[in-house]
Amino acid sequence: MMDTIEQLIKTLTEDDTKLRPAPHPFMQSLKWIVAAAAYLAIALVFSGLRPDIMHVIENKWFIVELVALFGIFVATSVSSSLLAFPDLHQKRIITFAPIPMFALFLLVIFFAWSADNLPAFLPEHTYECTYCIMIVSLLPAIWTFYSLRKYASIHYRLAGGLALLSASSIGALWLRLYEVNDSIIHVVEWHYLPMLVVGFIGLWLGEIILKW
Amino acid sequence: MAKITKTLETLMRQALDGDKCAYADLLRETAHFLRPFLKQKLSSKHDVEDLLQEILLSIHKARHTYNDLRPYKPWAYAIAKFRLLDYLRTRYADHLRFAIEVSEVENTLHEDVTEPRISYESINGEIFKLPEKQALILQMMHQEGYTAKEVAEKISMTETAVKVAAHRAYKTLKRHLEE
Repeated sequence: MMDTIEQLIKTLTEDDTKLRPAPHPFMQSLKWIVAAAAYLAIALVFSGLRPDIMHVIENKWFIVELVALFGIFVATSVSSSLLAFPDLHQKRIITFAPIPMFALFLLVIFFAWSADNLPAFLPEHTYECTYCIMIVSLLPAIWTFYSLRKYASIHYRLAGGLALLSASSIGALWLRLYEVNDSIIHVVEWHYLPMLVVGFIGLWLGEIILKW
Repeated sequence: MAKITKTLETLMRQALDGDKCAYADLLRETAHFLRPFLKQKLSSKHDVEDLLQEILLSIHKARHTYNDLRPYKPWAYAIAKFRLLDYLRTRYADHLRFAIEVSEVENTLHEDVTEPRISYESINGEIFKLPEKQALILQMMHQEGYTAKEVAEKISMTETAVKVAAHRAYKTLKRHLEE
């Protein structure tokens, strides 16, 4: 039996395959954040900003909502890049960062909804928003999964779920800046709840794509 | 302990720089500290060695996710635990997959070698010698399948009173059957 282990050690030491050292997870997530910001800017150049943007940025809850959404994107990016390492890069506590961010986001949505005293009209369209978010999120999702696959996640389901949440939050950010819509009910129903569903799909995809 | 940790980290750094001897030493050291851990979790020596090989392979595959700025052992143990859980999951899934349903083999099983339990019907005569209320309660509970609460509702008694009456009936029956 010991001979088998010795034989295996000999085989492994003779393997000359060069592997690029994994970057620090914070650098990796910074790369994702910068790339996502560039992607968002390009998407907005092509689609255009919502015509009433100068008016809505005066609404403090709209700005706070965007900041909280960006916070979710950053927290999920950092967390999923930590989850790509078997030992979470020995920064376990930081992987929980999305939890307070989601709590904060819920609070912001609640206050934005409370401030919406004269509720804004519901737009006529419904699922089209979810569809657009999915389309815009597709490229970041593929890129994130491709990056994560290069590492060795032992929490592959969580990593997959958070990667898709991160990607869909870019889509949600784009839509908030593109679509002329102030109805919080619509935004929650057709933008943010589908994001959560996408996160659950990511748990399943993580098992299929990231398991090693 | 600190010396060993430092040695392992140094060995890994040298291994990542292409030092094959350092890598062999590191894998040997890793096998050395993981073997007792696996022996605690698995009973078969053969399983321990099998799993140890899988873990060393996984460490080799994931070596690019380690750098010497953090301790080596938590990283190696994280991979070991992951592979151990995977191993156990697969093993128990196989056990379930190849398990045989009792219903598939019940016709080929031997007949009971013990005496069947006393049924309500077999002591019917004794039950009817009991006071009327006690006999009725036993009949409802054991022949008709009512619970004590349901019997209590049907015969307008409290649940406790039904249970007490049933208990007294059992004692009387036991005494009669022993005689």
